[in-house]
Amino acid sequence: MKHHAPFLVALTALAAGSAVAAPTVTRLTPPSELFSSGRADPVIARFLPGQRFDLQATIKPDAGQKISAARYFIDGKPVAATVALRDCASGCVKGLAAETAIATVRAVSSEAAGRHEFSVEATQADGQKVVAKGNFEVVPFTTAMGPKVKNLIILLGDGMGASQRTAARIVHGYAQGKALQPLAMDSFTATALVKTSSLNSIVTDSSPGMTSYVSGNKNNNNEEGVFPDDTVDAFDNPRIEYLSEYLHRTQGKQLGIVTTADVFDATPAGNAVHTSNRGAGTGIVDQFFDDRAHTGLTVLMGGGRKWFLPAGTPGSARTDTSDYAFSASDAHTAEIVKRWGVSAGSLDKGRDLIQEFQSAGFSYAATKADLDKADAARPLLGLFAFSNMNVALDKINGRRGSEKNGLGGASVVEDFGLPDQPMLDEMAAKAIGVLKHSPKGFVLMIEGASIDKQAHNMDTERWMLDTLEFDRAVRVAQDFAAEQGDTLVIVTADHECSGAALIGGSVVTDAKLAELAGKKGVANLRNSVVGVYEKAGFPHYRIAADGYPETTDIDYRLLVGYGANADRYEDWRTKKTPQRDVQQPFATEAPLKWYPANAQERDDALGDYLVTGQVPGEQAVHTATDVPLSAYGPGALAFTGVIDNTDVFFKLAQAAVKGVVAPADTSGSRKPPKPKR
Amino acid sequence: MRVPFLLALAGLFGLPTAWAAQPVELAFGDFFVQPIGPRGLEPTERLKAASGHEVRLVGFMVQREQPQAGQFFLTPRPVAMAEHADGEADDLPAATVTVLLPEAQRDRFVAHQGGPLTLTGRLEYGPAEDATGRVSWVRLRLAPDALEARPSAAAAPSSH
Repeated sequence: MKHHAPFLVALTALAAGSAVAAPTVTRLTPPSELFSSGRADPVIARFLPGQRFDLQATIKPDAGQKISAARYFIDGKPVAATVALRDCASGCVKGLAAETAIATVRAVSSEAAGRHEFSVEATQADGQKVVAKGNFEVVPFTTAMGPKVKNLIILLGDGMGASQRTAARIVHGYAQGKALQPLAMDSFTATALVKTSSLNSIVTDSSPGMTSYVSGNKNNNNEEGVFPDDTVDAFDNPRIEYLSEYLHRTQGKQLGIVTTADVFDATPAGNAVHTSNRGAGTGIVDQFFDDRAHTGLTVLMGGGRKWFLPAGTPGSARTDTSDYAFSASDAHTAEIVKRWGVSAGSLDKGRDLIQEFQSAGFSYAATKADLDKADAARPLLGLFAFSNMNVALDKINGRRGSEKNGLGGASVVEDFGLPDQPMLDEMAAKAIGVLKHSPKGFVLMIEGASIDKQAHNMDTERWMLDTLEFDRAVRVAQDFAAEQGDTLVIVTADHECSGAALIGGSVVTDAKLAELAGKKGVANLRNSVVGVYEKAGFPHYRIAADGYPETTDIDYRLLVGYGANADRYEDWRTKKTPQRDVQQPFATEAPLKWYPANAQERDDALGDYLVTGQVPGEQAVHTATDVPLSAYGPGALAFTGVIDNTDVFFKLAQAAVKGVVAPADTSGSRKPPKPKR
Repeated sequence: MRVPFLLALAGLFGLPTAWAAQPVELAFGDFFVQPIGPRGLEPTERLKAASGHEVRLVGFMVQREQPQAGQFFLTPRPVAMAEHADGEADDLPAATVTVLLPEAQRDRFVAHQGGPLTLTGRLEYGPAEDATGRVSWVRLRLAPDALEARPSAAAAPSSH
């Protein structure tokens, strides 16, 4: 961060008139414009009444000096809690002098509504003092017009912007401009447009994208449930209490997390885990388990089994380098344990986490068959893959017994050794089946993760089918909410991915397209294929009984362009993994090409249709474009307008804690309309 | 003197001393018992027997957003990775092989190549954590002549 000397008041320096020296505060947390620029607006950090967060300051003393004490004040009143003071002799980011001090108070909160000013006063060993100020806001609950909702369901289509939603609807079919079968998410009663920026970029990644919805605050990219700091420890950052933790602590609600990704991935972890390194897999999954009494974690499902197997068990990815252990003696981290009431963690790569979940009473499912059998009266751990689960298109092909086109004649899921993976809607139904036994209600996050991951790959058909899979999970949640009448459901995205745009339709049959793909080149694959405006017509995908297209390689298909793309070679056809009938010699055995470091260029010397990317590298990227959010259930109409991603948190909490402030739909009804099926 | 001379050469280039032996033909499906059971992977006798020996393996070079010098991943299916956004929440199968260039070539980036590749090298089975913290279970150490003699001017197109 870059700031701020003009706004710091070096008290003693002023008093003594000693020109040179004074300690300075280089970072003050929670982040504020008041500290960074001196402007009181906009207020960056906002909290619910009583929602807990950490205070932290980084203080640079004069050369040869050290910081001997620090105190915090909120609205001029001293904060009555231990200030943990550490230096930067080790463990701080590069560039910080060893005598730099970090002063932290853990788990403070304020009940009083409105804007608050807070300050840190640090004292140098020679008696000089520095004071720095910031602000935050406590957003009050408002008078309700209806009862509290018991359950909150957040459906998060990762990377799912408006284009991804529209594409899925088009695959369901159109006739004369009207959708034959709207998506379940299209039938939600209210929609808002969400601003997705993170604390440090207009373009967020999935960590702050998720945590803004469930903490009310902006995080830095790659960080979840924490504010940035100046140490290298990934687990010691200033924390912000999550929706799950707040509602478990104040109301006893349970938490469910369901994803098609590895469960340690940013979106699932961003509901229950506090870390500045979204990649710290071992520590992240340990925290899921160790702090389950803190978050109410009752259901955890997805991929990522590699993090749960003891190091030494084949397939395990557990390491001490991606784990954490808080010190019992250093107050900097010991106070996390003491004040937040959470586990200290330990470097225990040999831990058998599946066994520990089972010993704690969880059912464990490794396959869909296990999932079907799991006792809904018990908490549930489901780990269906070693990393991300396979995507919908490949899972469906596995179920259909089609596309057995691997090197050995197997399907994709067979080649991954995991032929019996559940679909997201099946996981969602089971999660709800378990969580509905929670007497105080639940918070459930369901993520369609590979909409994003396949958009990164610019693999059009795979993200379209993952969006369809996700919408089937939306339908499960909506049906539950319609039946219950006390459940608020939102469906949204953390950000858009790839700048996908539905540019039109192919003007040729698939057979012709395959022929043109063989000929390659712009003339064949662009000029002869891409139909714009009325030439696009209405692509017609035939939906099979399993809910997915019979094939994505239809005649006159939907065409997608990418505005945030890397270079790619486009032939518009569903990306195939190899065909069995490729003539031998099947595989190249020539020497491999290589580059000196940093030379990464491509050409289209082979005559392929090269679409030049606006971004470097191999992958399409996230965009800063707003994303739609749709709501269904009591209070749904509170979700309208152009809102900040952090606003969503306060709306959800209002509905759960105090009661809804808007009707369920435009008829004014408190209960949502029954969805048409 | 001829044999010791060859052995010395083999040592110099990091070749296994059994360099002249015919490589064992292995397939990804040979590595672990499939389908994978409810917990970890179960290595086959074939994998364990091949460890430390020259093998020939057909697979696909993983297309990385952030390639690492001196190595690449080989998988039974084409996989692309978006490390910047996703890190280790990746689409790699459990049987992924980490392919290592010889020590002297560890600064080189291997160009991504679409389509199946046949690679020959010395197989290693067992856990190993690399500098990035990633744990590999199966590695293939390539011979010095696995790469072209000169760097390429431009990359081959990716598969689509």
